[in-house]
Amino acid sequence: MAREQRIQLTVNGKSYEKTVPVRLSLADFIREHLHLTGTHLGCEHGVCGACTILVNGRSARSCLMLAVQADGADIVTIEGLRAEDGTRHPMQEAFHENFGLQCGYCTPGMLITTIELLQDNPNPDEQEIRETLSGNLCRCTGYQSIVNAVLAAARKAQSVENETGRAQKTGSRGKP
Amino acid sequence: MSDARFVNLRIVGTSVLPDEAIPLVEGEGRFVNDIRLPGMYHVAFLRSQHAHARLRSVDTNRAQELPGVVKVLTGKELLGKVEPFRSMPNRFSGGESVQHWLAVDKVRFCGEAICAVVAEDRATAEDAAELIEVDYEPLPAVTDPRLGERDDAPLVHDTCPNNYLIKREYQRGNVDEAFGSAHLVVKRKFRIGRKQALCLEPRGCVAAYRDSTFVLTMWMSHQLPYVVRHYVAKHLRLPENDVRVVAADTGGGFGQKASIYPEEFVCAYLALGLRRPVKWVEDRLENMVASTHARDQYIEIEIAADRDGRILALSSDVWVDVGAYSTYLWSAGMEPLQTAGLMPGPYKVAAMRYRTRGVATNKTPVGPYRAVGRPSASASLELLLDEVARRLKLDPAEMRRRNLIPIESMPYRNANNLVHDNVNYLPCLKLSTAKIDYERLRAEQRELSAGGKLRGIGVACFAELTGLGTTTAVGPGTLLQPGRDAVTLRLETTGVLTIAAALPSQGQRIMMAMRQVAVDELGIGLSDTNCLTNDTAMAPYGFGTFASRTAVFGSGAVIQAAKELRRRILALGAFLLKVSADDLTIVNSVIQTVDRSKSMPLREMAEKSYFSAKDIPQELNPGFEVTSFYDPKLGSFAAGAHIAVVDVDPQTGDVKIIRYVASEDVGTMINPAVVEGQIIGGIAQGIGEALLEELVYDENGQPRTVTLADYLIPTALEIPRIELHHANTPSAALGGFKGCGEGSTTGAVAAVACAVADALNQRGGDIHEFPATPERVLKGLGVLT
Amino acid sequence: MKPAWFDYYAPRSLEDALRILGDGGTDGRVLAGGQSLMPMLNCRILSPAVLVDINRIDTLNRLHVGTDSLTVGALVRHADLLRNAHVRDGWPLLAEATTQVAHPAIRNRGTVCGSVSHNDPSAEQPSVLLTLDGTIVIAGSAGRRELPAEEFFTGMLSTALEPGEMVVELRYPRPPAGTGAAFVEFARRLGDFAIAGAAAMLTMRDGVCEKARLTIVGMGEGPFRARAAEEVLTARRIGRKESKDAFAEAAARVTATVDPVDDVHTSSSYRRHLAGVMAVRALETALARTRGEQVG
Repeated sequence: MAREQRIQLTVNGKSYEKTVPVRLSLADFIREHLHLTGTHLGCEHGVCGACTILVNGRSARSCLMLAVQADGADIVTIEGLRAEDGTRHPMQEAFHENFGLQCGYCTPGMLITTIELLQDNPNPDEQEIRETLSGNLCRCTGYQSIVNAVLAAARKAQSVENETGRAQKTGSRGKP
Repeated sequence: MSDARFVNLRIVGTSVLPDEAIPLVEGEGRFVNDIRLPGMYHVAFLRSQHAHARLRSVDTNRAQELPGVVKVLTGKELLGKVEPFRSMPNRFSGGESVQHWLAVDKVRFCGEAICAVVAEDRATAEDAAELIEVDYEPLPAVTDPRLGERDDAPLVHDTCPNNYLIKREYQRGNVDEAFGSAHLVVKRKFRIGRKQALCLEPRGCVAAYRDSTFVLTMWMSHQLPYVVRHYVAKHLRLPENDVRVVAADTGGGFGQKASIYPEEFVCAYLALGLRRPVKWVEDRLENMVASTHARDQYIEIEIAADRDGRILALSSDVWVDVGAYSTYLWSAGMEPLQTAGLMPGPYKVAAMRYRTRGVATNKTPVGPYRAVGRPSASASLELLLDEVARRLKLDPAEMRRRNLIPIESMPYRNANNLVHDNVNYLPCLKLSTAKIDYERLRAEQRELSAGGKLRGIGVACFAELTGLGTTTAVGPGTLLQPGRDAVTLRLETTGVLTIAAALPSQGQRIMMAMRQVAVDELGIGLSDTNCLTNDTAMAPYGFGTFASRTAVFGSGAVIQAAKELRRRILALGAFLLKVSADDLTIVNSVIQTVDRSKSMPLREMAEKSYFSAKDIPQELNPGFEVTSFYDPKLGSFAAGAHIAVVDVDPQTGDVKIIRYVASEDVGTMINPAVVEGQIIGGIAQGIGEALLEELVYDENGQPRTVTLADYLIPTALEIPRIELHHANTPSAALGGFKGCGEGSTTGAVAAVACAVADALNQRGGDIHEFPATPERVLKGLGVLT
Repeated sequence: MKPAWFDYYAPRSLEDALRILGDGGTDGRVLAGGQSLMPMLNCRILSPAVLVDINRIDTLNRLHVGTDSLTVGALVRHADLLRNAHVRDGWPLLAEATTQVAHPAIRNRGTVCGSVSHNDPSAEQPSVLLTLDGTIVIAGSAGRRELPAEEFFTGMLSTALEPGEMVVELRYPRPPAGTGAAFVEFARRLGDFAIAGAAAMLTMRDGVCEKARLTIVGMGEGPFRARAAEEVLTARRIGRKESKDAFAEAAARVTATVDPVDDVHTSSSYRRHLAGVMAVRALETALARTRGEQVG
């Protein structure tokens, strides 16, 4: 039985074709084969959330998926949140402006999780934010500044929407 | 630096956005596991499955034959080639413990490293580790320090009778008389469970041979790059200058990454021997057993009080389960000596006595972790104060008020020989009680109690000694005295200011803090400042980041160095502009006369200094690089008063924190948002300690909490919105700065513990074992037996 | 924490999957959501020789809302249930329990059938299936068979699945009118494995309980059907006045009949006590919902 397989997938809008060991996790594939080291490993058993990415538009623990399972998938990682001109995603701005990170290790997972939250629920209250965040562990911040960042990002998105009268458009690559 | 000539807005005290955070928020951090070097090998360790055993044989043949395996290193191979870790000398040491980097004859804790497997990838290294055959001869394990100190207990180290790695007795003041004449004497026993820092990023290193101009370069997830360099060079017998240590972006440290461990040293040895880069990343299963643990104390504490609730004397007996080895660097003395020695906290204690022991057991070694002995000591004392208050029918906040050291008494030497000065404890308490509307809170509690609800209120005050200079020991009894650190300020050829210090950040934004101070001291624009903090090749010698010291040391050294640098800049500026130095100021990176008639950008002056030196008299061009060592001599006391309000579910034992108010004195704040992040982060860890976190071992020394599904740290739902207030008093250190980050953990553990006990007390219940798990709460209520 | 080697297959038909699984004997594992399996592989608690990834078998990705029952195929994720309004309306117990499964990222990948096949004693899905008198459809190379939930869960982490078999579908009967249900659990943190939980379903008519179902989670052997408690409630008048006593009695039967074990988190006596508490809370909420009251 072959220990390697060929996979084809899209990551942050770019297509890749690679041969991977069948036991390689998607997290390790992204980090080691694609050199996108922004996705972090904190536990490798699905609890800490630092490895959270978007798979076909939905958050997933990349440490609990095999790279071979991502054949044909559309993946977004923290590196893919930037706009094409290099501008940071509004959630990244909100985290930065609200001191929503200290050591930065949990941040990639936090960003993906909170971006998904605002997609599903553009105006969450603090309790809803905390419930959603409860699957992402942070040891540094005590979560308050992260909650503040999400509230700020939601408020800003609402005011942009109010101003322009249109729903906030996603990037041309269909990113969040 | 007062000065009407400075027209810049002072930025110390403003929450400037730290641009050092930008790479992190973009996913462009460089943590150890992100580093890849050509030809790099990967290391996995085979770890002991027994708590205590003789190693009869270690057969690595099958492992070595696995394709992709480069080498399997055993402890025997290292014998004679490297020096094992002999426990750091400590005045209160019970005996020497010797820790081989890889176990040779014996293993002494589950998780102790036995072999290092080097392979082309980590998965193969793990495959090979499974093929190593170890013949263990199990030995009886010591798992309880109170049993371990008995004469009939098995010995963890033959050189440590009664398994004492640390032992100290202390007395000051007339303790017996105080107890004899007291109106009230209360004694309690407390048990504080074992914890660990649980950094989101476990440990790791990359060791490289001749990667650049250095023989050995190590990238590490670590807080003390220079200290590591010293010991690596010493143990591997390399000239210190041949070694470069870089603290990579580090995903949390909290003291766990301030110890010296065997694994990274093994990697250094392998890199030199194989002449290839070698990477080891600690996975979470390893981290749960291989990185230092914390707390794990049995505390018996007795208080003598007068009829007004004033403390006359304290007496305590402390046992700490310090694990199998006296950790390298800080020794096993940290928890035992601090728990007992720092017990008085911010309260006036005229007489005290203690007996404390660090007893070796067959568990993971205990090392420093955020606030070390203070949280457990504070929780014990605060719980005891509440008990005294109950018996004397005094309000708990009033109890604190009567006992806090008042500023009028300062400098005040407490019974533990610490001098309190430049700190004001009472305003913190006053602020917290005012902000939470304490009287109404107590009234509400009484109403709710009448209706059968269990609401608890915990008031805790703490003193935190930060920024310790050479006269105060960080690790009591140790020879390591990290009381001074240095900063180099250098104006580069482009006029940019480099601030170099061996003070790496794990998120505390030390770089931003030092830059803010430099801006205020020099008048240089913020965007013209840059920091180098993580690299021994780029900064002067420094001990690193721990014990809430970087604000004091980094800033103090910047202030000192800036004074001289400014003098040189103005002297050369005076020459170049043909004015008197007294007429000059620096505003936004421009040297200018006060009336602005003449000016020169710093950039231009720097260029002239470097490239047109022949046009400048030598005495005016001594070089724009100033290194200054700063020793604040004493420590600076920070303080706080925390009030936690909890609701306890009497059916499930669940504890919910419904309100949390914290008032703190952290001296002059450099960047308030960063400070608040540190305080809230510290409170979060304290809440975890008080309610959730515990490392459990069975009677054979087998760890039972081995994944993140077992060891529970708080999530966003367990931490309430913290209401933070400030009652700052500048310290006597340069700039008036104090450290922060640890005191809040102390305050939180104590406040939450007291709140839970207070809730149970509504029904005559009590609790003395922490974390206050739902089961312990129900037992405390008498619902479960 | 990298897994040991395995042979990996990603068949596109159920037939192929069953054939490979059958050949693998006891050393083959189905990979669906992977949220329970992959942690075990990463920790090397489990090192199966063969992994059969069923995620390419489109026929298994079937969520069908019928008049009488809900059909959940092997690739239906926990999150799929939550996003379906018909499921929320017709099977509120299932929806409520599913919101307590771990966290969003886990729910996006983890499958309902996977959770049922794994039968962790603290998991939510097995207890809901049992409470709703559900049916498990099993396929193996020998063919299909169906089992009622009662016969499927055989013990801690064990089910009636034979080597080479897998769960392909679950069927949940639609609860009749007049039914109120509730799922409550107590965990240390939201999303953690329940220390104890209860799924309760009461079908009432004119103040009398026609049918009672009560399942306890977290007792060590898989979902525990509290028959003794159900007996105490069936055919009994449970109005606002009587419910307190009725439920206390039911809870007493629960604590008398469950047999939890000690573990690193809690003692058996605490779990036993908690089982009673959860039973009462679930029953009270279920009753309130039969009256159309909004609870939670």
